Amino acid sequence: MSLLSVQGLSVAIRGDDGVLHELVSAVSFDIAAGETMGLVGESGCGKSLTAMSILDLLPKPQALRSAGTLSFKGESISSASPRRLREIRGKNIAVIFQDPMTALNPVQTVSQQISEVLAIHFPEQSKKCRADRVLSLLHEVGIPAPQERLSAYPHQLSGGMRQRVMIAMALACEPDLLIADEPTTALDVTIQAQIVRLLKGLQAKNGMAMLFITHDLALVSQVSDKIAVMYAGKIAEYGSAQQVFAKPHHPYTQSLLAALPGAHHPPKSPLLALEGQVPAIQDMPKGCRFVNRCPHAADICREEIPPQDITTDATVVACHRWKEIAQ
Amino acid sequence: MTGYFVRRFLLIIPTFIGITLLVFAITRVVPGGPIERLMTQIQLGGETGALHRSQGGGTLSDEQLDELKRYYGFDKPMLSSYAIWLKKVVQFDLGLSTRYQDPVWQIIKERFPISIFYGLTTLILTYVVCIPLGLAKGMYHGSALDSWSSAVVFLGYALPSYVIGIALISLFAGYWDIFPLGGFISDNYDDLSTFGKAADIFHHSVLPLIAYLAGSFAVTTLMMKNSLMDNLSSDYMRTATAKGLSRGESVRGHALRNSLIPVATSFGNNISLLLGGSFLIETIFNIDGIGLLGYEAIIERDYPIVMGILVISSLLYLIGNILSDICVALVDPRIRFGGRGAA
Ligand SMILES: Nc1ncnc2c1ncn2[C@@H]1O[C@H](COP(=O)(O)OP(=O)(O)O)[C@@H](O)[C@H]1O
Ligand code: SF4
Ligand SMILES: [Mg+2]
Repeated sequence: MSLLSVQGLSVAIRGDDGVLHELVSAVSFDIAAGETMGLVGESGCGKSLTAMSILDLLPKPQALRSAGTLSFKGESISSASPRRLREIRGKNIAVIFQDPMTALNPVQTVSQQISEVLAIHFPEQSKKCRADRVLSLLHEVGIPAPQERLSAYPHQLSGGMRQRVMIAMALACEPDLLIADEPTTALDVTIQAQIVRLLKGLQAKNGMAMLFITHDLALVSQVSDKIAVMYAGKIAEYGSAQQVFAKPHHPYTQSLLAALPGAHHPPKSPLLALEGQVPAIQDMPKGCRFVNRCPHAADICREEIPPQDITTDATVVACHRWKEIAQ
Repeated sequence: MTGYFVRRFLLIIPTFIGITLLVFAITRVVPGGPIERLMTQIQLGGETGALHRSQGGGTLSDEQLDELKRYYGFDKPMLSSYAIWLKKVVQFDLGLSTRYQDPVWQIIKERFPISIFYGLTTLILTYVVCIPLGLAKGMYHGSALDSWSSAVVFLGYALPSYVIGIALISLFAGYWDIFPLGGFISDNYDDLSTFGKAADIFHHSVLPLIAYLAGSFAVTTLMMKNSLMDNLSSDYMRTATAKGLSRGESVRGHALRNSLIPVATSFGNNISLLLGGSFLIETIFNIDGIGLLGYEAIIERDYPIVMGILVISSLLYLIGNILSDICVALVDPRIRFGGRGAA
């Protein structure tokens, strides 16, 4: 049984005109205990909306989960009571966000913010016990001189340090699943590598599963067991990371891989960088959403939504022509 | 940081000198000063055939003029008479009112408690009402409470305070006769018990307070509401939810203090504005406060009183600004005045 199962998830946003736009459409994936799943796609394709809808952290009141079921350890969390959801948040499923500059409360100290999550989920714990735990967490996430950082405010820390504080906060209750929404995007390249290494190390140690979101295909290849490639709110291809990287089936995945620096171009893929733009939400094509940029587009692609086919190597691919393209 | 505030307090001295010197210079050049007024009075008196008219048909002799100039301190160059004035101020001597011939300090002291009473009550009520109201409006944005309170608050803001004052008097003091027409205390105030005195002041102050508050509610309430709403949609509030806090807990624990920062910033400004009083409201409600005194002093060219009020209000303003900075530093740890810079 998978730890988290997402089935047919759709997220809609009410535009200024009052009309609901389905920005994430019928997304399904599973994450097993201890496993890392990479969710990759261009910025704006709906990765954050997908991730935030898991714990119902969508921006309200504009965004809402319009369809789909979510279950965590067999329990349906899409229909869970707000109270039950609060128990799960921070304790069983924790989140770290893209921008550590704004994700921390500017007027509270590091120790206040970390011990708060412990106070929420372990109210019976003594103050002393909590303080010790905070200190050891700071140590664990590699913050130098943690004792001195306890009373620091976020603005006194660098971006990398803040993200470490966020990680410490997320790990405080030893969650089963960590949702990391572009945890390194706002950081310097050197810091990025450190944070990724830290996350991998902590994951191995705690045996937690991770939903790792990024627009950086190279990064996702380093961390993931499975990957889901998202395009314009839909999953284009989903399977084991090894398979998807070695043998991409979907033209979008192929072009992403081809655009990676140092990649050898897969045969029959003429395109290096994608031309054109993601269609605006108001004029999404009726059929395949990638049709205006796809080098293999055919008539059927314009008219019909591609089905989710399962290939011989167990990847899911949403393309009418993947078989022909593979030849 | 202490060093910073000490420096701020020391800076009061040059700022104070600048403000008072400027106004002092203006009193010297603006036409219609006390001597001119006296001369006009004498001229008019001459034309109406007063008995004590001086030679030359209602004009003053040169000696008399010099005498007057000396009396008003206009005989010396501006800077040296300013220096004399300043020296006296430092010794808490604000001179004599040219209109009443009483010590200025005495006159101001009599009116001050009334203005302080209204100023402080308005200030406290503003914060006691506006902060919770703004928070409730922010949390329940778009609700009936939000729309109705907005309507009331904006009405108070849009109507000039004297219009509200006159409307209140005509309705509640004239038509229904619930509250007194004006004044600060009743004639039999001294005979009342302590409780009776308090009730008397309260009874007199209800209408003026409403008039004072009507205008100040909108700004603070909406500042509070907008500030809270900005913070409600901030990333750290999403973090708070992701930790497992309920909405109420995350508002109290996280958004509240952050959204108080702009309100704290405006605090010093409000202190000084409110203690100045409003001469319009004071006129309408017949309250002998500083606002009315200052207005009359300007019209009558009673410069010692003008300068006296300026001394007090500018000091309040300068100190109020420092207080406001201290408030901001207390709620916002990112503000570290003077010391090692913020990130
Ligand atoms: N609060 C919001 N209001 C309106 N549109 C939004 C909001 N949040 C996201 N969107 C839109 O939803 C789409 C997907 O957003 P998001 O999930 O944040 O993308 P990603 O995380 O992949 O970069 C974007 O096109 C964005 O414009
Ligand atoms: S369905 Fe058609 S347009 Fe879409 S990716 Fe496949 S070939 Fe390209
Ligand atoms: Mg995002």
